[in-house]
Amino acid sequence: MNIPKLPLGRLVEKLEEWLTLYFGPVFDFIHSVIGGMVEGIEAVLTFLPALVVILLITALAYWIGKWRLALFALIGLLLIDNLGLWGPSMQSLALVLAASVLAVLIGVPIGILCAQSGKARNIVTPVLDFMQTMPAFVYLLPAVSFFSLGVVPGVIASIIFAIPPTIRLTNLGIRQVSSELVEAADAFGSTPNQKLFKLQLPIAMPTIMAGINQTIMLSLSMVVISSMIGAQGVGAYVYRAVSQAKTGAGFEAGLAIVVIAILLDRMTQNALKIKHK
Amino acid sequence: MKKRNRRKFMSITLPLLLLAAVMLAGCSSSSSGSGSQTVKLAYVAWDSEIASTYVVKEVLESKLNKTVELLQVDAGPMFAGVAGGSADAMVAAWLPSTHASYMEKYGKDLEDLGANLDGTKIGLTVPAYMKVDSIEDLNGSAVADSLDHKIIGIEPGAGIMSATEKALKDYKLDGYTLVESSSAAMAQELQKAYDANQPIVVTGWTPHWMFANMDLKYLSDPQGVYGGDEQIHTLARKGLNDDQPDVHQFLDQFQWTPDDMAQVMIAIQGGQSPEEAAKAWVESNPDKVMKWMAGIE
Repeated sequence: MNIPKLPLGRLVEKLEEWLTLYFGPVFDFIHSVIGGMVEGIEAVLTFLPALVVILLITALAYWIGKWRLALFALIGLLLIDNLGLWGPSMQSLALVLAASVLAVLIGVPIGILCAQSGKARNIVTPVLDFMQTMPAFVYLLPAVSFFSLGVVPGVIASIIFAIPPTIRLTNLGIRQVSSELVEAADAFGSTPNQKLFKLQLPIAMPTIMAGINQTIMLSLSMVVISSMIGAQGVGAYVYRAVSQAKTGAGFEAGLAIVVIAILLDRMTQNALKIKHK
Repeated sequence: MKKRNRRKFMSITLPLLLLAAVMLAGCSSSSSGSGSQTVKLAYVAWDSEIASTYVVKEVLESKLNKTVELLQVDAGPMFAGVAGGSADAMVAAWLPSTHASYMEKYGKDLEDLGANLDGTKIGLTVPAYMKVDSIEDLNGSAVADSLDHKIIGIEPGAGIMSATEKALKDYKLDGYTLVESSSAAMAQELQKAYDANQPIVVTGWTPHWMFANMDLKYLSDPQGVYGGDEQIHTLARKGLNDDQPDVHQFLDQFQWTPDDMAQVMIAIQGGQSPEEAAKAWVESNPDKVMKWMAGIE
Protein backbone atom coordinates (compact mmCIF):
# COMPACT_ATOMS: atom_id res chain seq x y z
CA MET A 1 0.00 0.00 0.00
CA ASN A 2 1.56 3.26 -1.06
CA ILE A 3 -1.10 5.89 -0.64
CA PRO A 4 0.33 9.15 0.71
CA LYS A 5 -1.28 10.59 3.85
CA LEU A 6 -4.51 12.30 2.89
CA PRO A 7 -4.42 16.07 3.52
CA LEU A 8 -7.55 15.93 5.70
CA GLY A 9 -6.19 18.24 8.38
CA ARG A 10 -5.17 20.84 5.80
CA LEU A 11 -8.61 20.68 4.19
CA VAL A 12 -10.33 21.27 7.52
CA GLU A 13 -8.14 24.29 8.25
CA LYS A 14 -8.84 25.70 4.77
CA LEU A 15 -12.56 25.17 5.36
CA GLU A 16 -12.31 26.95 8.71
CA GLU A 17 -10.58 29.95 7.08
CA TRP A 18 -13.07 30.01 4.22
CA LEU A 19 -16.08 29.91 6.56
CA THR A 20 -14.62 32.66 8.74
CA LEU A 21 -14.08 34.79 5.65
CA TYR A 22 -17.39 34.36 3.83
CA PHE A 23 -19.94 33.45 6.48
CA GLY A 24 -19.08 36.29 8.87
CA PRO A 25 -22.49 38.02 8.60
CA VAL A 26 -24.38 34.76 9.19
CA PHE A 27 -22.29 33.98 12.26
CA ASP A 28 -22.75 37.56 13.50
CA PHE A 29 -26.52 37.23 13.21
CA ILE A 30 -26.52 33.91 15.11
CA HIS A 31 -24.19 35.51 17.64
CA SER A 32 -26.51 38.42 18.35
CA VAL A 33 -29.61 36.21 18.61
CA ILE A 34 -28.04 33.71 21.02
CA GLY A 35 -26.16 36.40 22.91
CA GLY A 36 -29.34 38.38 23.43
CA MET A 37 -31.17 35.28 24.59
CA VAL A 38 -28.56 34.28 27.18
CA GLU A 39 -28.14 37.82 28.45
CA GLY A 40 -31.92 38.17 28.73
CA ILE A 41 -32.31 34.97 30.77
CA GLU A 42 -29.36 36.01 32.91
CA ALA A 43 -30.84 39.47 33.43
CA VAL A 44 -34.11 37.93 34.60
CA LEU A 45 -32.30 35.55 36.98
CA THR A 46 -29.94 38.14 38.46
CA PHE A 47 -32.28 41.16 38.47
CA LEU A 48 -34.06 39.96 41.61
CA PRO A 49 -32.22 39.31 44.87
CA ALA A 50 -31.00 35.73 45.29
CA LEU A 51 -33.49 34.98 48.08
CA VAL A 52 -36.48 36.01 45.95
CA VAL A 53 -35.30 33.83 43.06
CA ILE A 54 -34.75 30.93 45.47
CA LEU A 55 -38.30 31.26 46.80
CA LEU A 56 -39.70 31.49 43.26
CA ILE A 57 -37.87 28.35 42.15
CA THR A 58 -38.96 26.59 45.36
CA ALA A 59 -42.57 27.50 44.64
CA LEU A 60 -42.19 26.22 41.08
CA ALA A 61 -40.67 23.00 42.41
CA TYR A 62 -43.63 22.58 44.78
CA TRP A 63 -46.08 23.15 41.94
CA ILE A 64 -44.32 20.68 39.64
CA GLY A 65 -43.19 18.05 42.10
CA LYS A 66 -44.03 17.51 45.71
CA TRP A 67 -42.89 19.05 48.97
CA ARG A 68 -39.80 16.85 48.79
CA LEU A 69 -38.56 18.48 45.58
CA ALA A 70 -39.43 21.91 46.99
CA LEU A 71 -37.40 21.18 50.12
CA PHE A 72 -34.45 20.04 48.04
CA ALA A 73 -34.69 23.18 45.90
CA LEU A 74 -34.74 25.42 48.96
CA ILE A 75 -31.81 23.75 50.72
CA GLY A 76 -29.74 23.21 47.57
CA LEU A 77 -30.11 26.78 46.32
CA LEU A 78 -29.47 28.27 49.77
CA LEU A 79 -26.28 26.17 49.87
CA ILE A 80 -25.17 27.58 46.50
CA ASP A 81 -25.82 31.10 47.77
CA ASN A 82 -23.97 30.32 51.00
CA LEU A 83 -20.91 29.08 49.08
CA GLY A 84 -20.81 32.43 47.29
CA LEU A 85 -21.53 30.85 43.94
CA TRP A 86 -24.96 32.37 43.26
CA GLY A 87 -23.95 34.74 40.46
CA PRO A 88 -21.82 32.26 38.52
CA SER A 89 -24.43 29.53 39.03
CA MET A 90 -27.11 31.74 37.48
CA GLN A 91 -24.75 32.47 34.58
CA SER A 92 -24.34 28.74 34.01
CA LEU A 93 -28.09 28.17 34.38
CA ALA A 94 -28.75 30.82 31.73
CA LEU A 95 -26.28 29.09 29.41
CA VAL A 96 -27.89 25.68 29.96
CA LEU A 97 -31.45 26.98 29.55
CA ALA A 98 -30.58 28.84 26.35
CA ALA A 99 -28.79 25.80 24.90
CA SER A 100 -31.65 23.46 25.89
CA VAL A 101 -34.42 25.71 24.51
CA LEU A 102 -32.58 26.09 21.21
CA ALA A 103 -31.81 22.36 21.08
CA VAL A 104 -35.51 21.56 21.55
CA LEU A 105 -36.63 24.18 18.99
CA ILE A 106 -34.21 22.77 16.43
CA GLY A 107 -34.24 19.11 17.50
CA VAL A 108 -37.96 18.30 17.70
CA PRO A 109 -38.73 19.37 14.10
CA ILE A 110 -35.71 17.42 12.84
CA GLY A 111 -36.88 14.39 14.83
CA ILE A 112 -40.36 14.68 13.30
CA LEU A 113 -38.82 14.92 9.84
CA CYS A 114 -36.76 11.78 10.50
CA ALA A 115 -39.87 9.94 11.67
CA GLN A 116 -41.72 10.80 8.50
CA SER A 117 -38.97 10.12 5.97
CA GLY A 118 -36.53 7.25 5.98
CA LYS A 119 -34.18 9.16 3.69
CA ALA A 120 -33.90 12.04 6.16
CA ARG A 121 -33.22 9.60 8.96
CA ASN A 122 -30.43 7.91 7.00
CA ILE A 123 -28.75 11.27 6.45
CA VAL A 124 -29.24 12.59 9.98
CA THR A 125 -28.19 9.50 11.96
CA PRO A 126 -24.50 9.45 10.96
CA VAL A 127 -24.31 13.21 11.51
CA LEU A 128 -25.65 12.70 15.03
CA ASP A 129 -23.10 9.94 15.68
CA PHE A 130 -20.41 12.37 14.58
CA MET A 131 -21.73 15.16 16.82
CA GLN A 132 -21.91 12.94 19.88
CA THR A 133 -18.50 11.32 19.58
CA MET A 134 -16.21 14.04 18.18
CA PRO A 135 -14.34 15.23 21.28
CA ALA A 136 -15.56 18.72 22.16
CA PHE A 137 -12.01 20.03 22.46
CA VAL A 138 -11.63 19.63 18.71
CA TYR A 139 -14.21 22.24 17.81
CA LEU A 140 -13.40 24.71 20.58
CA LEU A 141 -10.98 26.72 18.44
CA PRO A 142 -13.23 26.91 15.34
CA ALA A 143 -16.10 27.92 17.64
CA VAL A 144 -14.00 30.82 18.91
CA SER A 145 -13.01 31.95 15.42
CA PHE A 146 -16.64 31.84 14.22
CA PHE A 147 -18.44 33.20 17.29
CA SER A 148 -15.67 34.99 19.26
CA LEU A 149 -14.92 34.40 22.93
CA GLY A 150 -17.82 34.46 25.32
CA VAL A 151 -21.03 32.70 26.11
CA VAL A 152 -22.16 32.21 22.50
CA PRO A 153 -19.59 29.59 21.39
CA GLY A 154 -20.34 27.85 24.69
CA VAL A 155 -24.03 27.63 23.78
CA ILE A 156 -23.18 26.40 20.28
CA ALA A 157 -20.81 23.74 21.61
CA SER A 158 -23.46 22.64 24.15
CA ILE A 159 -26.12 22.37 21.44
CA ILE A 160 -23.85 20.27 19.21
CA PHE A 161 -23.15 17.92 22.10
CA ALA A 162 -26.63 17.85 23.60
CA ILE A 163 -29.10 17.89 20.70
CA PRO A 164 -28.83 14.24 19.52
CA PRO A 165 -31.05 12.66 22.25
CA THR A 166 -33.91 15.06 21.46
CA ILE A 167 -33.74 14.21 17.76
CA ARG A 168 -33.31 10.47 18.28
CA LEU A 169 -36.08 10.08 20.86
CA THR A 170 -38.55 12.30 18.99
CA ASN A 171 -38.02 10.11 15.94
CA LEU A 172 -38.31 6.94 18.02
CA GLY A 173 -41.42 8.09 19.90
CA ILE A 174 -43.33 8.90 16.74
CA ARG A 175 -42.28 5.69 15.02
CA GLN A 176 -43.48 3.69 18.01
CA VAL A 177 -47.06 4.96 17.74
CA SER A 178 -48.92 1.77 16.90
CA SER A 179 -49.72 1.31 13.25
CA GLU A 180 -53.39 0.48 13.98
CA LEU A 181 -53.90 3.96 15.39
CA VAL A 182 -52.20 5.57 12.40
CA GLU A 183 -54.30 3.48 10.03
CA ALA A 184 -57.44 4.49 11.89
CA ALA A 185 -56.51 8.13 11.61
CA ASP A 186 -55.87 7.70 7.89
CA ALA A 187 -59.16 5.87 7.48
CA PHE A 188 -61.06 8.75 9.05
CA GLY A 189 -59.43 11.06 6.56
CA SER A 190 -57.24 13.13 8.86
CA THR A 191 -54.70 15.43 7.24
CA PRO A 192 -51.01 14.73 7.93
CA ASN A 193 -50.94 17.74 10.27
CA GLN A 194 -53.97 16.53 12.22
CA LYS A 195 -52.40 13.10 12.46
CA LEU A 196 -49.17 14.59 13.78
CA PHE A 197 -50.57 17.04 16.35
CA LYS A 198 -53.62 15.11 17.52
CA LEU A 199 -52.28 11.56 17.51
CA GLN A 200 -48.54 11.01 17.07
CA LEU A 201 -47.09 13.83 19.18
CA PRO A 202 -49.39 13.33 22.20
CA ILE A 203 -48.65 9.60 22.29
CA ALA A 204 -44.93 10.13 21.72
CA MET A 205 -44.76 12.87 24.37
CA PRO A 206 -43.26 10.80 27.21
CA THR A 207 -40.48 9.57 24.92
CA ILE A 208 -39.84 13.08 23.59
CA MET A 209 -39.68 14.44 27.14
CA ALA A 210 -37.13 11.78 28.04
CA GLY A 211 -35.03 13.03 25.11
CA ILE A 212 -35.37 16.67 26.20
CA ASN A 213 -34.41 15.67 29.73
CA GLN A 214 -31.26 14.00 28.42
CA THR A 215 -30.48 17.08 26.34
CA ILE A 216 -30.66 19.31 29.42
CA MET A 217 -28.39 16.98 31.38
CA LEU A 218 -25.86 16.79 28.55
CA SER A 219 -25.73 20.55 28.12
CA LEU A 220 -25.03 20.83 31.86
CA SER A 221 -22.06 18.55 31.46
CA MET A 222 -20.63 21.05 28.97
CA VAL A 223 -20.41 24.02 31.35
CA VAL A 224 -16.79 23.35 32.30
CA ILE A 225 -15.64 22.92 28.70
CA SER A 226 -17.67 25.99 27.68
CA SER A 227 -15.82 28.02 30.28
CA MET A 228 -12.59 27.31 28.39
CA ILE A 229 -13.92 29.42 25.52
CA GLY A 230 -15.21 32.31 27.58
CA ALA A 231 -18.61 31.22 28.89
CA GLN A 232 -17.87 32.24 32.46
CA GLY A 233 -19.99 30.95 35.30
CA VAL A 234 -19.59 28.12 37.71
CA GLY A 235 -17.74 26.06 35.08
CA ALA A 236 -14.90 28.59 35.15
CA TYR A 237 -14.61 28.06 38.91
CA VAL A 238 -14.29 24.30 38.41
CA TYR A 239 -11.73 24.77 35.67
CA ARG A 240 -9.69 27.21 37.72
CA ALA A 241 -9.72 24.91 40.73
CA VAL A 242 -8.56 22.01 38.57
CA SER A 243 -5.76 24.04 36.98
CA GLN A 244 -4.50 24.88 40.44
CA ALA A 245 -5.04 21.44 41.99
CA LYS A 246 -7.47 22.86 44.56
CA THR A 247 -9.73 19.89 45.14
CA GLY A 248 -11.84 21.62 47.78
CA ALA A 249 -12.77 24.65 45.69
CA GLY A 250 -13.42 22.37 42.72
CA PHE A 251 -15.76 20.23 44.78
CA GLU A 252 -17.74 23.27 45.99
CA ALA A 253 -18.25 24.55 42.44
CA GLY A 254 -19.01 21.03 41.24
CA LEU A 255 -21.65 20.69 43.95
CA ALA A 256 -23.42 23.79 42.62
CA ILE A 257 -23.62 22.10 39.21
CA VAL A 258 -24.98 18.93 40.80
CA VAL A 259 -27.75 20.85 42.60
CA ILE A 260 -28.80 22.60 39.38
CA ALA A 261 -28.65 19.29 37.51
CA ILE A 262 -30.86 17.41 39.97
CA LEU A 263 -33.39 20.28 40.04
CA LEU A 264 -33.62 20.50 36.25
CA ASP A 265 -33.80 16.72 35.94
CA ARG A 266 -36.63 16.22 38.45
CA MET A 267 -38.54 19.22 37.13
CA THR A 268 -38.45 18.08 33.52
CA GLN A 269 -39.33 14.52 34.53
CA ASN A 270 -42.32 15.69 36.55
CA ALA A 271 -43.52 18.33 34.10
CA LEU A 272 -45.32 15.64 32.09
CA LYS A 273 -47.15 14.18 35.06
CA ILE A 274 -48.83 17.51 35.84
CA LYS A 275 -50.69 17.42 32.56
CA HIS A 276 -52.13 14.05 33.45
CA LYS A 277 -53.24 15.09 36.95
CA MET B 1 -64.21 24.02 19.88
CA LYS B 2 -63.57 27.74 19.65
CA LYS B 3 -62.37 27.86 23.21
CA ARG B 4 -59.93 25.00 22.63
CA ASN B 5 -58.49 26.72 19.62
CA ARG B 6 -57.97 29.88 21.59
CA ARG B 7 -56.19 27.92 24.29
CA LYS B 8 -53.93 26.28 21.77
CA PHE B 9 -53.16 29.64 20.23
CA MET B 10 -52.28 31.05 23.62
CA SER B 11 -50.12 28.07 24.54
CA ILE B 12 -48.04 28.64 21.43
CA THR B 13 -47.85 32.43 21.48
CA LEU B 14 -47.18 32.93 25.19
CA PRO B 15 -43.79 31.18 25.23
CA LEU B 16 -42.86 32.98 22.02
CA LEU B 17 -43.79 36.34 23.55
CA LEU B 18 -41.75 35.49 26.63
CA LEU B 19 -38.80 34.57 24.46
CA ALA B 20 -39.10 37.83 22.55
CA ALA B 21 -39.26 39.80 25.79
CA VAL B 22 -36.23 37.99 27.10
CA MET B 23 -34.31 38.72 23.90
CA LEU B 24 -35.27 42.39 24.00
CA ALA B 25 -34.16 42.60 27.60
CA GLY B 26 -30.86 41.07 26.58
CA CYS B 27 -30.31 43.43 23.68
CA SER B 28 -31.11 46.51 25.71
CA SER B 29 -28.93 45.47 28.64
CA SER B 30 -25.96 44.82 26.38
CA SER B 31 -25.84 48.36 25.04
CA SER B 32 -23.95 50.07 27.82
CA GLY B 33 -25.24 53.54 28.40
CA SER B 34 -22.43 54.72 30.67
CA GLY B 35 -19.52 56.76 29.41
CA SER B 36 -16.71 54.40 30.39
CA GLN B 37 -15.31 52.11 27.70
CA THR B 38 -15.08 48.37 28.19
CA VAL B 39 -11.81 46.48 27.97
CA LYS B 40 -11.89 42.71 27.59
CA LEU B 41 -8.87 40.80 28.87
CA ALA B 42 -8.42 37.09 28.24
CA TYR B 43 -6.29 35.00 30.58
CA VAL B 44 -5.53 31.44 31.62
CA ALA B 45 -6.11 30.18 35.14
CA TRP B 46 -2.45 29.89 36.13
CA ASP B 47 -1.42 31.65 39.31
CA SER B 48 1.10 33.88 37.54
CA GLU B 49 -1.46 34.97 34.95
CA ILE B 50 -4.21 35.50 37.53
CA ALA B 51 -1.85 37.80 39.44
CA SER B 52 -0.84 39.92 36.44
CA THR B 53 -4.30 40.07 34.84
CA TYR B 54 -6.00 41.23 38.03
CA VAL B 55 -3.34 43.90 38.61
CA VAL B 56 -3.87 45.17 35.05
CA LYS B 57 -7.63 45.16 35.64
CA GLU B 58 -7.23 47.11 38.89
CA VAL B 59 -5.07 49.77 37.19
CA LEU B 60 -7.42 50.10 34.20
CA GLU B 61 -10.39 50.57 36.52
CA SER B 62 -8.87 52.83 39.17
CA LYS B 63 -6.57 54.96 37.00
CA LEU B 64 -8.15 54.98 33.54
CA ASN B 65 -11.79 54.64 34.61
CA LYS B 66 -12.50 51.68 32.31
CA THR B 67 -14.93 48.85 32.75
CA VAL B 68 -12.92 45.64 32.59
CA GLU B 69 -14.36 42.27 31.66
CA LEU B 70 -12.16 39.25 32.39
CA LEU B 71 -12.45 36.04 30.39
CA GLN B 72 -10.80 33.04 32.00
CA VAL B 73 -10.25 30.59 29.14
CA ASP B 74 -7.88 27.92 27.89
CA ALA B 75 -4.57 28.86 26.24
CA GLY B 76 -5.63 28.12 22.64
CA PRO B 77 -8.93 30.01 22.82
CA MET B 78 -7.08 32.90 24.51
CA PHE B 79 -4.87 33.37 21.44
CA ALA B 80 -7.76 32.78 19.03
CA GLY B 81 -9.92 35.29 20.89
CA VAL B 82 -7.40 38.14 20.92
CA ALA B 83 -6.41 37.44 17.30
CA GLY B 84 -10.07 37.49 16.25
CA GLY B 85 -10.75 40.66 18.21
CA SER B 86 -13.30 39.27 20.66
CA ALA B 87 -10.87 40.08 23.47
CA ASP B 88 -8.76 43.25 23.46
CA ALA B 89 -5.54 41.95 24.98
CA MET B 90 -3.79 39.44 27.22
CA VAL B 91 -0.75 39.69 29.46
CA ALA B 92 -0.15 35.93 29.52
CA ALA B 93 1.84 34.86 26.44
CA TRP B 94 4.93 32.79 27.33
CA LEU B 95 7.41 33.38 24.54
CA PRO B 96 9.46 32.38 22.64
CA SER B 97 8.95 28.67 23.28
CA THR B 98 6.00 27.66 25.51
CA HIS B 99 3.32 29.22 23.32
CA ALA B 100 5.29 29.01 20.06
CA SER B 101 2.68 26.84 18.31
CA TYR B 102 -0.07 29.40 18.97
CA MET B 103 2.12 32.26 17.72
CA GLU B 104 2.68 30.33 14.51
CA LYS B 105 -1.05 30.17 13.87
CA TYR B 106 -2.27 33.52 15.22
CA GLY B 107 0.85 35.69 15.35
CA LYS B 108 0.04 37.59 12.16
CA ASP B 109 -3.23 38.86 13.66
CA LEU B 110 -1.70 39.97 16.97
CA GLU B 111 0.29 42.98 18.06
CA ASP B 112 3.17 42.07 20.35
CA LEU B 113 3.64 44.82 22.94
CA GLY B 114 6.83 43.23 24.26
CA ALA B 115 7.69 41.55 27.54
CA ASN B 116 5.85 42.46 30.74
CA LEU B 117 7.97 40.11 32.85
CA ASP B 118 11.56 38.99 32.42
CA GLY B 119 13.36 36.15 34.12
CA THR B 120 11.03 33.23 33.99
CA LYS B 121 12.84 29.93 34.14
CA ILE B 122 12.09 26.41 32.92
CA GLY B 123 13.87 23.17 33.70
CA LEU B 124 13.75 19.80 35.40
CA THR B 125 12.63 20.22 39.00
CA VAL B 126 13.04 17.90 41.99
CA PRO B 127 12.23 18.08 45.70
CA ALA B 128 15.15 19.51 47.72
CA TYR B 129 15.49 16.28 49.71
CA MET B 130 16.69 14.36 46.62
CA LYS B 131 20.43 13.64 46.27
CA VAL B 132 20.67 14.74 42.63
CA ASP B 133 21.85 18.20 41.61
CA SER B 134 22.42 18.06 37.89
CA ILE B 135 20.56 16.48 34.96
CA GLU B 136 23.65 14.33 34.45
CA ASP B 137 23.05 12.71 37.87
CA LEU B 138 19.88 11.08 36.54
CA ASN B 139 22.02 8.71 34.50
CA GLY B 140 22.69 6.11 37.23
CA SER B 141 20.53 2.99 37.09
CA ALA B 142 19.77 3.22 40.82
CA VAL B 143 18.37 6.72 40.37
CA ALA B 144 16.44 5.69 37.27
CA ASP B 145 14.92 2.71 39.10
CA SER B 146 13.88 4.83 42.06
CA LEU B 147 12.12 7.18 39.64
CA ASP B 148 10.47 4.29 37.80
CA HIS B 149 12.20 5.65 34.64
CA LYS B 150 9.66 8.46 34.46
CA ILE B 151 9.85 12.22 34.16
CA ILE B 152 6.44 13.78 34.78
CA GLY B 153 5.61 16.36 32.12
CA ILE B 154 2.69 18.64 31.26
CA GLU B 155 0.53 19.21 28.17
CA PRO B 156 2.04 17.80 24.96
CA GLY B 157 3.00 20.66 22.67
CA ALA B 158 4.23 23.00 25.40
CA GLY B 159 7.71 24.39 24.79
CA ILE B 160 9.06 22.82 27.97
CA MET B 161 8.08 19.38 26.66
CA SER B 162 10.06 19.63 23.43
CA ALA B 163 13.00 21.04 25.41
CA THR B 164 12.82 18.03 27.74
CA GLU B 165 12.74 15.60 24.81
CA LYS B 166 15.92 17.27 23.60
CA ALA B 167 17.46 17.03 27.08
CA LEU B 168 16.77 13.27 27.19
CA LYS B 169 18.67 12.93 23.90
CA ASP B 170 21.57 15.25 24.73
CA TYR B 171 22.19 13.79 28.18
CA LYS B 172 21.69 10.23 26.84
CA LEU B 173 18.94 9.43 29.33
CA ASP B 174 17.68 6.58 27.12
CA GLY B 175 15.93 4.69 29.90
CA TYR B 176 13.52 7.52 30.69
CA THR B 177 10.09 8.26 29.30
CA LEU B 178 8.62 11.73 29.45
CA VAL B 179 5.04 11.28 30.66
CA GLU B 180 2.54 13.63 28.99
CA SER B 181 -0.15 14.88 31.36
CA SER B 182 -1.35 18.35 32.26
CA SER B 183 -0.02 21.20 34.39
CA ALA B 184 -2.56 20.40 37.08
CA ALA B 185 -1.87 16.66 37.09
CA MET B 186 1.88 17.26 37.21
CA ALA B 187 1.53 19.54 40.24
CA GLN B 188 -0.76 17.00 41.91
CA GLU B 189 1.71 14.18 41.29
CA LEU B 190 4.57 16.30 42.64
CA GLN B 191 2.63 17.23 45.78
CA LYS B 192 1.78 13.58 46.39
CA ALA B 193 5.39 12.45 46.05
CA TYR B 194 6.60 15.40 48.14
CA ASP B 195 4.21 14.62 50.99
CA ALA B 196 5.36 11.00 50.98
CA ASN B 197 9.04 11.95 50.70
CA GLN B 198 9.33 9.97 47.46
CA PRO B 199 11.77 10.75 44.63
CA ILE B 200 10.23 12.45 41.59
CA VAL B 201 11.36 14.56 38.62
CA VAL B 202 8.96 16.99 36.93
CA THR B 203 9.13 19.65 34.25
CA GLY B 204 8.92 22.86 36.25
CA TRP B 205 8.88 26.59 35.65
CA THR B 206 8.90 29.82 37.60
CA PRO B 207 6.82 31.76 38.45
CA HIS B 208 4.73 28.87 39.80
CA TRP B 209 3.02 28.36 43.15
CA MET B 210 4.64 24.97 43.67
CA PHE B 211 7.84 26.78 44.67
CA ALA B 212 5.94 28.65 47.38
CA ASN B 213 4.30 25.47 48.71
CA MET B 214 7.25 23.07 48.59
CA ASP B 215 11.01 23.10 48.99
CA LEU B 216 12.15 22.36 45.42
CA LYS B 217 15.26 22.85 43.32
CA TYR B 218 16.07 23.01 39.62
CA LEU B 219 18.57 20.43 38.33
CA SER B 220 21.56 22.25 36.86
CA ASP B 221 21.77 22.10 33.09
CA PRO B 222 25.48 22.16 32.12
CA GLN B 223 24.73 21.69 28.42
CA GLY B 224 22.26 24.57 28.38
CA VAL B 225 19.38 22.66 26.80
CA TYR B 226 16.85 24.82 28.66
CA GLY B 227 19.11 27.72 27.81
CA GLY B 228 16.94 30.59 26.69
CA ASP B 229 15.02 32.04 29.58
CA GLU B 230 11.46 32.84 28.65
CA GLN B 231 9.57 36.06 28.95
CA ILE B 232 5.88 36.72 29.47
CA HIS B 233 4.57 39.01 26.74
CA THR B 234 1.62 41.34 26.40
CA LEU B 235 -0.33 40.78 23.17
CA ALA B 236 -3.11 43.02 21.87
CA ARG B 237 -5.57 42.73 19.04
CA LYS B 238 -4.78 44.68 15.87
CA GLY B 239 -6.49 48.04 16.00
CA LEU B 240 -6.59 48.54 19.78
CA ASN B 241 -4.38 51.61 19.35
CA ASP B 242 -7.02 53.29 17.17
CA ASP B 243 -9.98 52.60 19.47
CA GLN B 244 -8.43 53.01 22.91
CA PRO B 245 -4.96 54.57 22.63
CA ASP B 246 -4.74 55.08 26.40
CA VAL B 247 -5.28 51.36 27.08
CA HIS B 248 -2.82 50.48 24.34
CA GLN B 249 -0.15 52.76 25.79
CA PHE B 250 -0.63 51.46 29.34
CA LEU B 251 -0.41 47.82 28.20
CA ASP B 252 2.71 48.71 26.23
CA GLN B 253 4.28 50.27 29.35
CA PHE B 254 3.10 47.57 31.78
CA GLN B 255 6.15 45.74 33.10
CA TRP B 256 7.09 44.23 36.43
CA THR B 257 9.46 41.72 38.05
CA PRO B 258 9.05 38.13 39.25
CA ASP B 259 9.30 39.50 42.81
CA ASP B 260 6.36 41.86 42.24
CA MET B 261 4.34 39.02 40.79
CA ALA B 262 5.31 36.70 43.64
CA GLN B 263 3.93 39.21 46.19
CA VAL B 264 0.51 39.07 44.54
CA MET B 265 0.65 35.28 44.04
CA ILE B 266 1.54 34.63 47.68
CA ALA B 267 -1.24 36.95 48.88
CA ILE B 268 -3.72 34.95 46.77
CA GLN B 269 -2.25 31.64 48.00
CA GLY B 270 -2.73 32.98 51.53
CA GLY B 271 -6.46 33.23 50.98
CA GLN B 272 -7.03 36.77 49.64
CA SER B 273 -9.28 37.12 46.61
CA PRO B 274 -7.41 38.07 43.43
CA GLU B 275 -9.18 41.47 43.46
CA GLU B 276 -8.06 42.22 47.02
CA ALA B 277 -4.48 41.10 46.40
CA ALA B 278 -4.22 43.17 43.21
CA LYS B 279 -5.72 46.24 44.90
CA ALA B 280 -3.30 45.96 47.83
CA TRP B 281 -0.30 45.64 45.53
CA VAL B 282 -1.33 48.62 43.38
CA GLU B 283 -1.88 50.76 46.48
CA SER B 284 1.49 49.88 47.99
CA ASN B 285 3.48 50.38 44.74
CA PRO B 286 2.41 53.83 43.51
CA ASP B 287 5.76 54.65 41.92
CA LYS B 288 5.68 51.58 39.68
CA VAL B 289 2.09 52.27 38.68
CA MET B 290 3.02 55.89 37.93
CA LYS B 291 5.68 54.64 35.52
CA TRP B 292 3.09 52.56 33.64
CA MET B 293 0.90 55.65 33.40
CA ALA B 294 3.63 57.97 32.11
CA GLY B 295 2.50 60.17 29.25
CA ILE B 296 -1.08 58.91 29.12
CA GLU B 297 -3.56 61.73 28.59
